[in-house]
Amino acid sequence: MSLRDYYRQFEGLSEEEFNLQLAEEAAERRRKALTRVERVDLSQTTRADLPHANIANAITFAARRGLQLYPYLRGSALRNELAERHGVPPARLILGNGAAELLSAATRALIEPGQKLLTTWPSYPLFPIMARRAHGQAVPVSGGVQELLRAAGEHGTRVVALASPNDPTGELLGVQELRALLEGLPDGVAVLLDEALVEFVDAQPPDASLELLEGHPGLLIFRSFSKAWGMAGLRIGYAIGGPGSEELLAELEPDLGVNELSQAGALEAVRRATGLLAEHVRAVAVERARLTGALRRRGFEVADSQANFLWVAHPDLNGAELAARLERAAVLVAAGDALGEPQHIRIAIGTPAVSDRLLTALDGALGGSGPGGQDTPAGAHDGTGPGGQDTPAGAHDGTGPGGQDTPAGAHDGAGPGGQDTPAGAHDGTGPGGQDIPA
Amino acid sequence: MRSDPSDTGGLFVGRRPGTAPTHFRRLPQRGSASRQRLDGYLAAAMLAGMIVLSVLCWGPIPIACLWVGSQVDYHTGSVSLGIVVAFVALFVLLFGSLRLMRTLDEAWILVRRAAGHDQRSGALGRVFATTAAICVGVFSVWFVLIHGTGQMVESGNAK
Repeated sequence: MSLRDYYRQFEGLSEEEFNLQLAEEAAERRRKALTRVERVDLSQTTRADLPHANIANAITFAARRGLQLYPYLRGSALRNELAERHGVPPARLILGNGAAELLSAATRALIEPGQKLLTTWPSYPLFPIMARRAHGQAVPVSGGVQELLRAAGEHGTRVVALASPNDPTGELLGVQELRALLEGLPDGVAVLLDEALVEFVDAQPPDASLELLEGHPGLLIFRSFSKAWGMAGLRIGYAIGGPGSEELLAELEPDLGVNELSQAGALEAVRRATGLLAEHVRAVAVERARLTGALRRRGFEVADSQANFLWVAHPDLNGAELAARLERAAVLVAAGDALGEPQHIRIAIGTPAVSDRLLTALDGALGGSGPGGQDTPAGAHDGTGPGGQDTPAGAHDGTGPGGQDTPAGAHDGAGPGGQDTPAGAHDGTGPGGQDIPA
Repeated sequence: MRSDPSDTGGLFVGRRPGTAPTHFRRLPQRGSASRQRLDGYLAAAMLAGMIVLSVLCWGPIPIACLWVGSQVDYHTGSVSLGIVVAFVALFVLLFGSLRLMRTLDEAWILVRRAAGHDQRSGALGRVFATTAAICVGVFSVWFVLIHGTGQMVESGNAK
């Protein structure tokens, strides 16, 4: 460094120079912010938006009122409210820490070691897991009601576990099909019907299946506040049984009741947020139809969904590959390979802006060049849909095939008792692509 | 930023004037301790140079210009030319000195920073004001007490 340069380095910037430098830095930050593409997460089946503020207020009120008592000592306004809404006696409705826990409890209560649990496949990955935990055998059945009835006729079948709408296909088990199933099943076979997504159904009234409870005591229906109600974090759900199911339901109920804060939030939602729920469900139905049509026009096979997601396959592109290409365009979907359907992906329904972003990414993915280089419009996502949420760290870190937050322990062992279980459902890597509550 | 009280109605918006930190283009690499000490001496010498130049402006330079003007008057017999030359010389020398002092002042800031001081402004204004006060004071003492105002008046009246 020359003598002149040595002293010149101590020369300060003038105010104009400094302001100019600040302006350039600000412009650079703005440019980077505008070109950053927010990740859109369509791999979750839970809602992306926040619950209504009144729900948070109700929880806060319950907390401030005091939590020193066991919840069952206060009685359950939520249980009575739900029973009244569904037109069943309160004794035939129980609350639980999420529908998943009640389903597991029911399986443990019903299945003796070695007995079979039938389920259609692909379906909710918890079904084979809960059979294994009850020391039973999960028997996946491909097909519909007739195949189920045929399989149920075999010796040792105790439980048929079904999801309607089914996750991940979104298909609805109509009330007529359900009736046919119930009437065709042998005596002593119980049906566990998971209706966690039933609020999204528009093909029949959401409570249509409840009518079957009166004539079929072997039917138990499970519902959740995790999906359409958008309160998965509260872990609250409920089960409804038919006449004579009171004893079994009492056995499934959590010993000292359900978290009082969860009950407070759910009660507030049931009493005052039904309008918001209906609005959300309507929006999902509209977008579901639009996205289904758009995908079919692009050559995708799309199952008729009654849920808040679509089960999609492309004839020429593997589901995992398609999911990977979409991820490069910052759109996350659940790959179906972990469910034994490697050709499929599961796409959650978001806002119209999110759907547009998805379709743009899909066009890029199918274009052959990969979506990474496409011009995804910044700000296409408006922050109200599933994208734009802050996905928890590690939820999509590549540890699960679908980038899902599958809690540890939900897939902690081998398959369901040596049955012919579809590949990937319990292969030790866990059923990624699904939301399996712990 | 408008932070001067005269610009803001007496309220400071942001920093007080003259208190902003110095922003460099890149972090300066200071020399060794001995070099910084040397820079300190150099800065003192430059300050002394500025003081000398400033003092020159308040006495020697005007006197020198008047002497040059008188010499022109003496050699050409033209009083007007002598006055013009004296004023031109005074103008050139005064402004040349000021320009030189300003350059010295800017260099002095850098050398002071190199010496390890947080030097944010120059010393020219203070040097000029201080030397002016001293020179005016010295001139006043000489004029009133040593030379005396009455002698000129009396000698004028005697004619």
